[in-house]
This record gives sequence, structure tokens and C-alpha cells, in this order.
Amino acid sequence: MDPHYNQKPRRRAEFIMPPNTLKAKVGSGGLSDDILRKAQTLLENNTADFQPLAEMYLASLMEGIELAKSGGEEQDDEYVISTMMYPAMQLKANGGMFQYPLISAIADKLIHFLEVINEPDIEAVEIVLAFHTTTRAVVMGRIKGDGGTHGKELLYALNQACSRYFEKSK
Amino acid sequence: MTYQLQNISILVVEDNQPMLELIKSLLVTFGVKKIVLAQNGEQGFELFRREKPDIVIADWMMKPTDGISLARRIRNDPGSPNQLVPIILMTGFSEKRRVLQARDAGVTEFLVKPFNARDLYKRLEQIIERPRQFVRSEGFFGPDRRRNRKDGYDGQLRRQTDVRQEDYDLSFESTLPQSKEQ
Repeated sequence: MDPHYNQKPRRRAEFIMPPNTLKAKVGSGGLSDDILRKAQTLLENNTADFQPLAEMYLASLMEGIELAKSGGEEQDDEYVISTMMYPAMQLKANGGMFQYPLISAIADKLIHFLEVINEPDIEAVEIVLAFHTTTRAVVMGRIKGDGGTHGKELLYALNQACSRYFEKSK
Repeated sequence: MTYQLQNISILVVEDNQPMLELIKSLLVTFGVKKIVLAQNGEQGFELFRREKPDIVIADWMMKPTDGISLARRIRNDPGSPNQLVPIILMTGFSEKRRVLQARDAGVTEFLVKPFNARDLYKRLEQIIERPRQFVRSEGFFGPDRRRNRKDGYDGQLRRQTDVRQEDYDLSFESTLPQSKEQ
């Protein structure tokens, strides 16, 4: 059977297999577990201070919150949500890299919330503010790691607040 | 015998200085000797042209030029010295929509932050051991969305662990971490 169903091709996709120069340069065998362990230890023991970065992202999140609060009829809801989404994403991305996995977990919940709300109404903004306050407390308290039982309780409380929001808006 | 990563150069583009340093340290531990650092996509492209690295690792969100724009430029700009270079895009985003956006920009691998040392290594190993072929068609130039299918059995798949064709076609998504309840 003709691969083009007897039709004249109007456009053509060209497939290119680049020469694997990387393989030729690095050879075989991968990296040893010892090297990977060393790299992971380096990651876990890095001494970079996450607090200034976190403060910067939290300030940016607060700007988004303020913008949402000041919202008028003509405000673009998607834009307003994005101003809160991007710092939340940065907190999620970087927290866990600098020994604050609890911040990544909290920010991940915030991102999930922001992804599904219809509009940044006052109740939604109150919830984002609760996320902000909680994250700030974790940063200021230098709660590294997953926060143990307290961390789980914080995540549970934020999750419940999000659930209540959607229950109310049914 | 292990990888001789001292034989390759890697460009890392990341606007967050501590993160940039962290990635550099990881790569040094892996054995990479030549690491070029840039703090945004604009500077990254200039260094890419000048240094012609073997691999590019870029963050998604940077100003004035983000990682997606950098990937598009590397793939399509006539001034790009190597349109086929493997690009690993780092981001906090993990939803399918974002992955597809990155894929359509010509990104080779997707690395979700936060990541661990093994996650980064796995992306490097993937581009060394299983490089993607490239597709040039109207409106797209970049790595094939599918990886090469393993030769062999063409019959019906019955085991739960069998990879279906539709899974294979979305193989780019396999770079995402398994979702887990936090």
C-alpha cells in the first residue's frame, strides 16, 4: 500500500539522525554509585542560604496577592493568577534544592490550587495569603526537611482550606 | 570503565546564582571539566555561539530570554552553530501541558525541579545512550517526540508492564517524576 494513500505529498518531514558524538567522546560505563553518592551528598550539604531567595519570591507572591485584592472589573484574571503562579513555581522549584522540601510541598499545593480556580476572588486570595503566611513561617523558622509531624499538619490544613473553598463554590 | 565526562563541555543557563553554582558543583563531581555559565537566555545564546558546548542545560523561567526561547533560537537561528545540540530544560512545572510546550520548542529532555543528583545524571545518560533523531517539517525542527522503538515483537501486548505504542508516542512525558501525594 502506498504510504501516502496514493495522494501526492504536500509537505515532507525529514528525519535526521545526528552522529552520536557525545557517546564517542565520553565512552561507556555510566557513572559509579560512588560518584552519584558524592554528588547527592554535595546537594544535601550545600550551604547556600535559601532565605534571601525565598524572601524575594514571597515578596513577588505578595505583589500578586495585592494586585488580586485591588482587582476591578476590567482586570485580566489570568494575568492576575499568573502573577501568583510564577513565584509559587519558583518556591516549589528551589525549596527542595536548598533543603526546604516542605516549601516545595506547600508551593506545589498552591500551584495546584491556582491551576483550578476560576477567578482570583476574595476567598481564593485569602487562601493564597494563608499559603504565603505558612511559607514565610517555614522560611523564618528555618524549618528544613519535611517538617515532620508539624509539616504534615500544615499541609493538611492548607489542603482542607482549598477543599472548603471548592465545597463552598459548588 | 566509566563515562569520561571531562571530554565534553556543558553550558548551564540559570538566572538564580545559588542554583547555577549548585549545578556547576554537581557537574564537576560528575567529572565535567569545562562548564560555561550564563544567567539568561540572551547571554546563553552568545556563549553557545562562542563556546559550542556539547550539551545545554537551561532553566525555563529567565529574563529577558527564557529557556524556551533559547531552545527555539538554538534550533532555528541561522547563527546557531549546532542546531542538533541536546537541550535539557529545568523547571518547577510538571503538568503535561507544560511538557508539551517545552517539547514543541525543541527541548530534548525535561528535568523537574527540585531534582536529585541521580535525576540529573539520568538525563545526561539518556542523551548519551539514547539520542533522539531529529525531525524537520514545516513549522517544526527539533528532536523527534518519540524515542526509537525497540526492535522485535510486533504482536499483542498482554503484560501489565508492556509499553503500549501510545505510551511510546508520548515518551517525552516519561521524563516527569511519578506523581506522589505530598
